[in-house]
Amino acid sequence: MVNVDALTPATTERAAPGTRSAGTAVDGRARARRRQAVVAYLFLAPSLLFFAVFLILPLGFALLLSMSRWAGFDLGGIQPVGLDNFTGLFADGSTFLAPILTNTLLFALGTVVLALAGSVVVTTCIDNLRFQGLWRTLYFLPIVTTVVAVGNVWKYMYEPGGLVNGVLNALGFASVAFLQDPATALPSVVVVHAWASVGSAILVLTAGLKSIPESYYEAAALDGAGPVTVFWKITLPLLRPSLLLVCVTQLISGLQSFALIIVMTKGGPGDATNVAALEMYRQAFSYGHWGPASAAAFVLFVVVLVITLVQLWIFRRKGEDA
Amino acid sequence: MIRRRFPWWSYLVVVTGAVLTVVPFLDMVMTSFKGAGEAGTLPYRFLPEAFDLSNYRAAIDQLDLPVLFRNSVIATAVITGSVLLTSSLAGYALAKLRFPGRNLIFRLVLSTMMFPPFLFFIPHFLILVHWPLAGGNDLFGRGGAGLTVSIAALAMPFLVNGFGIFLMRQFMVSIPDEVLEAARIDGAGEFAVWWRIVVPQTRPVVLTLGLLTFVHAWNEYIWALLISTANPDVMTLPVGIQFLQDYVDPTRTMPIVMAGLVLSVLPVLIPFLLLQKYYIRGVMLSGLK
Repeated sequence: MVNVDALTPATTERAAPGTRSAGTAVDGRARARRRQAVVAYLFLAPSLLFFAVFLILPLGFALLLSMSRWAGFDLGGIQPVGLDNFTGLFADGSTFLAPILTNTLLFALGTVVLALAGSVVVTTCIDNLRFQGLWRTLYFLPIVTTVVAVGNVWKYMYEPGGLVNGVLNALGFASVAFLQDPATALPSVVVVHAWASVGSAILVLTAGLKSIPESYYEAAALDGAGPVTVFWKITLPLLRPSLLLVCVTQLISGLQSFALIIVMTKGGPGDATNVAALEMYRQAFSYGHWGPASAAAFVLFVVVLVITLVQLWIFRRKGEDA
Repeated sequence: MIRRRFPWWSYLVVVTGAVLTVVPFLDMVMTSFKGAGEAGTLPYRFLPEAFDLSNYRAAIDQLDLPVLFRNSVIATAVITGSVLLTSSLAGYALAKLRFPGRNLIFRLVLSTMMFPPFLFFIPHFLILVHWPLAGGNDLFGRGGAGLTVSIAALAMPFLVNGFGIFLMRQFMVSIPDEVLEAARIDGAGEFAVWWRIVVPQTRPVVLTLGLLTFVHAWNEYIWALLISTANPDVMTLPVGIQFLQDYVDPTRTMPIVMAGLVLSVLPVLIPFLLLQKYYIRGVMLSGLK
């Protein structure tokens, strides 16, 4: 940094004197600007090339596929069918709306509710303790773990001879066939997804909590407010922007996720845990139905987009640009 | 100060939650030491009868762990290296160079974060199948399997990251222009300015983005599953372990699966514990994972 400070005044001195004629200076500057533009595009070239091949081309391709019938890999065999793939998704007897899209919403909502409740309670409690960093790191472990590990450990824990049923049996309850029973399968997976998301929610809420001025708490203490009153009257209202952020980002990621479901239940039993992204994946890569799969992907995309826009609208309306 | 007291119920909540978080990992480790027929039997027992290390041996042999490990390492290294390099280059151009179309490109970069990954699985796969002059394809991408059968396919859709470019740009904007100008006047080309002055100053953001990308790439499952289905030779660790768990008798192989999982989790757990503040910053900057 010392070097830098020494250089700065020299720069202005060297740049300032107008010893050369105005014309050449302007020419020189124009040339420099043109050269900078060329260099800038060279720096951007790898990224732009990538976006052209892996973003823009795929979006067009997916849109084309969603309105085509095509089996196999021969590009010449693509037949346009208009909106048939979309109407097919919502036709009588289609499982897309129910149970698949319903499952998707239940999965996302269930995750948000559980993860939000858990993270709010834990975040405010951690704030009362010593060794806060240590606690947060512990809660963060599932986030850095592959979904294959999370899914398999929990799948095994849900088995009749697994930990969860072991605890239930020890407490005198009968075993539950968590993932095999259509009634309990979806909630069981939701619990795991929420368990894995609590850590990052805690992080966002902690940032929000730390930005609440200490003086509010001191004033409340002077007024003799108890911890419960402080939580409801100060912490929760002032945490609202962070809560909203967690809520919406978790909802969006919940709507899209299916890796955990592939690992734990493969969508079963029946369609009990099937969600839109998984259905898309299966239609495409198990049956080669590229068209209906692409249509399903776009429907899910629109659902996610609408929820994102609603989120932006809520943020704007409350004047809480985050 | 009401915030800094340590009530017992806070301890109770936090410790209970921490136990709920950590117990599945402990169960994974304990199961990885259990003998054949000891896992998944009634009544449930947390501790193994004896700490049997043979499951780790079996995981290494049965899963062909060295090959899976190699594939995971190559894919992760290529992705992380490429994301850091391209993000730094593009971030520099967007932060420090003036050129026509700059705002448009910056907006394009921001919009890339809006599209959910599932939208791209099908087109990315089909693009790789039809990649020209690869895997037996002709110039028009017909006739062969394209890049789907090569290890490059594992990394290709992840080589550039809009969020990475955005993160680098935001960080580089705060580097004073005078410093760069001084170097330019001393005769340094833009590439030298970037490499000698900007890159050394971006160390914290390189660590943050690098760790975030590394953890994501190492744990990636769905895309790797797709590519491995086309070509088992490029199977990654998560895919290989899931494959074993799907197709072999669960009560017998569960300890081996858990041993494999322990071995697959360690390579990210250790860097995370050492550099957690950089990773956590990345997660906070990107909203949520």
